[in-house]
Amino acid sequence: MTLALDAATPRRRRMASVTYWDVLKWVIALSVTVVILFPIWWMINVVFAEPGTPVSINPRLLPTSLEAGWSKILMILRETEYLRAYYISVAYALLTIIGVLAVGSMAAFEFALFDFPGKRPLFGLVMLSLMVPTAVTIVPTYLLVADMGWLNTMQGLVVPGMASAFGLFLLVQFMKGIPHEMIEAARLDGAGHFQIYWHVVMPLAKNALVTLAILTFMRTWGNFMWPLIVAPNAQMYTVGQVVGLFNAPYSHHTVDVVMTANLLAAVPPLIFFLIFQRKIVEGIAMSGTKG
Amino acid sequence: MARLDITNLAKSFGPMSVLSDVNLHIDSGEFVVFVGPSGCGKSTLLRIISGLETMTSGQLRIDGAIMNDVDPAQRGTAMVFQSYALYPHMTAAENMGFSLKMARQTKPTIREKVAKAASILRLDALLERRPSQLSGGQKQRVAIGRAIVRQPKVFLFDEPLSNLDAELRVRMRAELIDLHRRLGATMIYVTHDQVEAMTLADKMVVMNGGIVQQFGRPLDLYDDPDNRFVAGFIGSPKMNFLKARVGDVRPERVTLSDIAGTSTALELPFRGFDPAVSSVEIGIRPEHVRLAPTDEAGPNDISADVAFVEELGDVTYIHADMPGGERLIVRSDGMRYSGGKTCRARLDPGRFLLFDPSGHRIRSAHAH
Repeated sequence: MTLALDAATPRRRRMASVTYWDVLKWVIALSVTVVILFPIWWMINVVFAEPGTPVSINPRLLPTSLEAGWSKILMILRETEYLRAYYISVAYALLTIIGVLAVGSMAAFEFALFDFPGKRPLFGLVMLSLMVPTAVTIVPTYLLVADMGWLNTMQGLVVPGMASAFGLFLLVQFMKGIPHEMIEAARLDGAGHFQIYWHVVMPLAKNALVTLAILTFMRTWGNFMWPLIVAPNAQMYTVGQVVGLFNAPYSHHTVDVVMTANLLAAVPPLIFFLIFQRKIVEGIAMSGTKG
Repeated sequence: MARLDITNLAKSFGPMSVLSDVNLHIDSGEFVVFVGPSGCGKSTLLRIISGLETMTSGQLRIDGAIMNDVDPAQRGTAMVFQSYALYPHMTAAENMGFSLKMARQTKPTIREKVAKAASILRLDALLERRPSQLSGGQKQRVAIGRAIVRQPKVFLFDEPLSNLDAELRVRMRAELIDLHRRLGATMIYVTHDQVEAMTLADKMVVMNGGIVQQFGRPLDLYDDPDNRFVAGFIGSPKMNFLKARVGDVRPERVTLSDIAGTSTALELPFRGFDPAVSSVEIGIRPEHVRLAPTDEAGPNDISADVAFVEELGDVTYIHADMPGGERLIVRSDGMRYSGGKTCRARLDPGRFLLFDPSGHRIRSAHAH
């Protein structure tokens, strides 16, 4: 009897401590979740349904035909250039990540840990470029890339995105926190400049590098404008552009096929998000931006 | 083991001079402690020896070879930092073996040398741990191990025990003394703690304002300081300084009057006192001042107002205010404070150290 009383009392106390404000917070959180998840769920419902089933009326909450969905996915992968676009997008994202990390970390290493003439104005100049909207720089960058003969090439897609002022800023802020004594200890241990960068600073900046990699992936995968401008050749289409074709007014595709293309485009970021969920949240918190 | 010579070394940061005219000769195998208040230039001097900082002028030699422009890693020095500066992403073994890895030594050699250093420092069981899994003392031992594996000619320690608690600091001090005995290496140690300096050093370098005030054996500095700064810096509680006027000067004796604002006059043996000096400061250590019983006044007694009392059990320190404004600390062994508001302090003139108004020591001709 005593035990039962003991067990019940804290539960009652917990219930009593729930305020109206708590309930309101939960309602708001749930509403936001529904608003965000519903389009994705709707997309899945449309894909996994028999072709021709009306989508705008008689809404369904559950997929009706997994088989039909699979056959649409296979049809898109087999009968369109979707797989090539996947390959281009993945290569574009991975090469950009590698480039951003390499260029950003080396520049940040110098800016954060060493003094050199003109350091402050140079860093200021780089930071100033953060203020300039992409739309302003896109034409000169295009002209530069075109002059170099890089239109419709992977380097044309990747190289302009490798120098990231935001990435530099993020890494500099992080590397400034590395104690100077550690660098000095490495110097006394006989490590050269590059060895200090590679063996000491890079492992210590791992969290910031992972954050930057994630943010760069999110930015690159979702980048529609730059690939559209610099790689107009169908051989160099990214997933974004291919999905754009499906969505085009005269594409002659039914809504369910268009939705399948959209779903396929959303799968990699979703998987990426599920794997790196914690790191993404930490990264966004660290960088103070949504990328 | 190596000999180290510093000649006319100076260092300035822009217009600000932080070290000037430093001349030191450190013998092979000596444990030398640089001690002084914060900002006195001791760490800068250590960093110049290590090569992490350049000197503005002067010369540094290790075993006769000029080191001014030699890369820090090639000087044969190893440094232990105050913050340990261990690489957090490496295990203790990797931390210790990092310099060997950079020197492209083979993995078996690295393993062997790390194991040897670990056994000296009793770190064998901790080699696979990362710094975050180690206590402060263990981290410090790993940092020392990192220095040992390099087999340096000179060990440099930059306040390595400052981050440890008092008990651990005492234990690590004993370990460092033991390590020095076993390795027989030349060690230079920087601290602002004069007790640490006294207990560790074969020789001490007392610094202030970027200038070496005195260099010598700890007890020589304690007993026979060159100036008021060294006298005041070495010893805890610090030496008492009492102002006095110079009275009668004779070839073998000098009389001091108006001591600390009292009417007391004392005669002390002193050969060759300069009659031009009209006022001095008397330096006398707390252990050379005795509490005199209140009922038997002696000629060397001065009366003072008790400000506060520190009773430590084995010893009692009475802090008293003199009429001249000076603070007099009296050390009383075994005697307990009775609670009186005034006390009689008995000075021993034979223990007086005299300083001129500019703080320089006035030595009796006997001393030389």
